[in-house]
Amino acid sequence: MRDEEELPGKQPPGALPADGRLNQTLKGMQNLLSRGRTLPGKIMLSRKNETAPSSAKPPLPDEVIDDDYVDVRKGGEASEDRSSPQASTSDRNNEDAADGGAREEPGSTRGVDGKPGGSQHGTPRTNGGRATDSARVDRFKKVLATSTVELEALRELAWSGVPPDMRPACWRLLLGYAPPNSDRRAAVLARKRQEYRDCVPQYYDIPNAERSEDEVNTLRQISVDVPRTVPDVRFFQQSAIQSSLSRILYIWAIRHPASGYVQGINDLVTPFLAVFLSEILEGDMEHWDAGNLSPETLYTVEADCYWCLCKLLDGIQDHYTFAQPGIQRLVFKLKELVRRIDEPVARRIEEQGLEFLQFAFRWFNCLLIRELPFHLVCRLWDTYLAEGDGFADFLVYVCASFLLTWSDELQKLEFQDMVLFLQHLPTKKWTHQELEIVLSRAYMWREMFGRSPNHLNSS
Amino acid sequence: MSHKPDDEYDFLFKVVLIGDSGVGKSNLLSRFTRNEFNLESKSTIGVEFATRSIQVDGKTIKAQIWDTAGQERYRAITSAYYRGAVGALLVYDITKHVTYENVERWLKELRDHADSNIVIMLVGNKSDLRHLRGVSTEDSQAFAEKEGLFFIETSALESTNVEQAFQIILTEIYRIVSKKAFDPVEGGNTAGPSKGTTINVGDTSAEDGKKKSCCS
Repeated sequence: MRDEEELPGKQPPGALPADGRLNQTLKGMQNLLSRGRTLPGKIMLSRKNETAPSSAKPPLPDEVIDDDYVDVRKGGEASEDRSSPQASTSDRNNEDAADGGAREEPGSTRGVDGKPGGSQHGTPRTNGGRATDSARVDRFKKVLATSTVELEALRELAWSGVPPDMRPACWRLLLGYAPPNSDRRAAVLARKRQEYRDCVPQYYDIPNAERSEDEVNTLRQISVDVPRTVPDVRFFQQSAIQSSLSRILYIWAIRHPASGYVQGINDLVTPFLAVFLSEILEGDMEHWDAGNLSPETLYTVEADCYWCLCKLLDGIQDHYTFAQPGIQRLVFKLKELVRRIDEPVARRIEEQGLEFLQFAFRWFNCLLIRELPFHLVCRLWDTYLAEGDGFADFLVYVCASFLLTWSDELQKLEFQDMVLFLQHLPTKKWTHQELEIVLSRAYMWREMFGRSPNHLNSS
Repeated sequence: MSHKPDDEYDFLFKVVLIGDSGVGKSNLLSRFTRNEFNLESKSTIGVEFATRSIQVDGKTIKAQIWDTAGQERYRAITSAYYRGAVGALLVYDITKHVTYENVERWLKELRDHADSNIVIMLVGNKSDLRHLRGVSTEDSQAFAEKEGLFFIETSALESTNVEQAFQIILTEIYRIVSKKAFDPVEGGNTAGPSKGTTINVGDTSAEDGKKKSCCS
């Protein structure tokens, strides 16, 4: 793993032949780098690099790194918190070692995302890629320990993944549910939790006769969807959890009448349940038993899930209002972006008569939860939450990056197989590594396209 | 045509699956196309797609089936898929009367958004849950006759009548399309059981289904 600080100047301009679709991307990045700009974020560089001259100094990522991407997130801001260049270098090397070690057994700790406690040191863990190496863990600890948490610093760190046992605290802060000021935090949380708790008898625990027809319909819809929420994770089948989920969704729906409950929002609660329960339940999520939780504890978790759901959806309300204009807009943006990044794929999709809405609707509606194995979802959400209010815009880049993971396959498929492929993408065996690549590329593309909207229009 | 056929077929029919949330649309589809059933399948968001070919009269008929989300909020998205559909399976759950009550609203959806001569089959699913039945076969039968719909009860779980449901509707579509092509005179009634009023074949748009892209 290497920082991009080393790249500018050393990478000869034009070193990459114009032979692949990504070469434009790479060139653009080179330009940015040669102008002395630093790019936070991890950038995947290896894909079309095979033909790059090996004499380039420093060697291109493929030659030095066996896990396919270069961490360039340590740009400007992050490097400033290192006292000297020497310290920076050695720190970086340590991270690299920890990181490399952690990736040696990808996928061996499925579901560990929700795992509470446990040592963050010693045996390498695979979750979140770099999330658990000790230098990063220390930096998280440092940021979280301050009397007023610097949210920008936290976002910067969290973008690349939060260590699982710090997720609950980080997510509450990142979503603006817990105040950054530690003196006020406990009181605010206590008040919010009580507020939620008061909603339960007021809205939920009432006879149907006291509900409007719409409310009865909402409750019915929720009761249809709750049992089939992330059914592949057994934990969500437990009745205590399903009751909690029903209450959260129903109260959210009642208090957000502009959209009300929309199918798929049930999925969006599950990362919160997994993360906030990880503070309480030990071991692997697959073995959690919610039946042992006291009602007090469950209410606290439920309240946190509820408020975090509110915060998450506040910025994307129009994703769920009539005709879901927010989602339609993002689908349109995605189509445009794909056209600019990977014209052959865009053309193929169009030629085959496939509409982006036919596959990307669900991506946006469920924030990609449906497209990934659940054990990766919390890592993905670290980045969403670090992005903050504008995360939906970044989501477009994530979706483009996700889609173009299969650029080669897509160009070979005809309409029918293409729809089927896109609706059942082969991500079942994905590990953090694949997800990191998707996120890194998304970051890079936003750097390039987001800030120069017409950059590639003519090509 | 925007895409080449990747396999051999004589007719390509687009069919939509509609009906309330949780009535079993996705499982009817997976039972028919993959012979699979999943008790805990996730809710459908937007639309999903599957395909299967069957033989009718020695002809290969390929059904391109669009499974839609049941929640009302999704109508704006899903109703776009009615365009070009030559068949619709309107599904309710025999154990949940409200899903049957909503059939009229679904019919209105179809009449507002789909071709006027679309072949519609009313499907009462979950017939395996006999002890929980909330909608009588007779009521549904009478309703289907009144509205000119085919009617069948199915169990995607037990694999009862699923094959037949698709076979009947595809055969009827084929009958209309081939008669339109080869025999302009409306002829004998060859449809399967429980047929309601005769489908209007006077409208030329029936042939829209013939070897036409679903996304035209």
